[in-house]
Amino acid sequence: MPPSQINCGNHHQWQLMNSKSYRLVILSLYVAMALILSYVESFIPLGPPGIKLGLPNIITLISLITLGWPLTILVVVGRVLLSGFMFNPGISIVYSLSGGLLSLLVMGLLLHFFKDSYSLILISIFGAITHNLGQILMAAIVIQNASLIYSTFPFLMLTAIPTGLFIGLVAKELIGLLNKTTIFNRLNS
Amino acid sequence: MKKKELIIIAILLLISLGGIALFYCLNATDQPLTVRVSRDGEVIAALPLSQDHSETFSNAAGTNTLVISNRTADITEADCPGQVCVATHSISSPGETIVCLPHKLIVEIITSGN
Repeated sequence: MPPSQINCGNHHQWQLMNSKSYRLVILSLYVAMALILSYVESFIPLGPPGIKLGLPNIITLISLITLGWPLTILVVVGRVLLSGFMFNPGISIVYSLSGGLLSLLVMGLLLHFFKDSYSLILISIFGAITHNLGQILMAAIVIQNASLIYSTFPFLMLTAIPTGLFIGLVAKELIGLLNKTTIFNRLNS
Repeated sequence: MKKKELIIIAILLLISLGGIALFYCLNATDQPLTVRVSRDGEVIAALPLSQDHSETFSNAAGTNTLVISNRTADITEADCPGQVCVATHSISSPGETIVCLPHKLIVEIITSGN
C-alpha cells in the first residue's frame, strides 16, 4: 500500500512512527510471542521423549514472510537465548540454536526459491525435519558419536512430519487472518 | 491442502519409514549383543546384554543408573534436568541408543564382534 493511503484518515500514534521503529516493534513482539510459545509447549507432552510440537516455529514462519530472513535470525536467536536462560538452563541452548538456525536457513531458502508459489505447510515440515537434523548433528559432535545420526534421524523425521504439518496449518491460518488487518502495511513502506 | 503438498508429504513419510526399516535391517544379527556406555566419546563400560546387571555411572556432571534385565537395557534413574534418557524406551536391538545430552552419556547396543 502506498504511504499516501496509510496517512489519510485518523493519525494514530503508531502511524507517525517511521517504518524502522515499527519494524523493531514487530520484531520485539515476535520474540516475546515465540518465547511464550516455547514456554507453553514445554507443558505439552507428545509421547516420545524429547519430542516437541515446535510452537515457536509459527512465529518464525510468520516472521520469515513479513520481515524477511535477516531479521528473522534475530527472532530465532533472541528466542533461543532467552528461553535457554529462563526455562532450560545449560547446554540445551547449543542444540536449540543449531536446530533453529539450520531450519531457518532451509526455510529461508525454500521461501526464496519458490517466491509466490510457496507452500507454507511444506516449508514448515522441512523446517521441522531440519530442526531435528541440526540438533542431532550438534549432539553427535558433542557426544562424539557419528552413529547417533543414522540411529536417531529416521525416527525423529517421522515425528517431525505430523508436527511440522500441524504448525504449518496453524501458521497458514494465522497469516491469512493477520493479512486482513493493517498490522503489516507499514512494514515495507 | 493441495495435491502437490500431499504427494510431497507422502514421499517424506516413505523416506523416513524406509530409513527406519533400513536401520533395523542393516543391524539385524544373530550374534550376541553388548551394551556399550560412552561418555564424551570414550567407552566407560561394555556389558553383555544377556546378563542381568545394574550399574550407576556418575561423574561431576551427574549420575545415570543403567539396568539390564530380560535382554533389554534401560536408564531408570538420572539427575539431569530434562529426564529424556529416563523417559526413553528400553533398548534391545543393535544400533539402538539412549542418550543423556546434559551428561554427554550414550548407551548403545552393539554386536559383540565389534
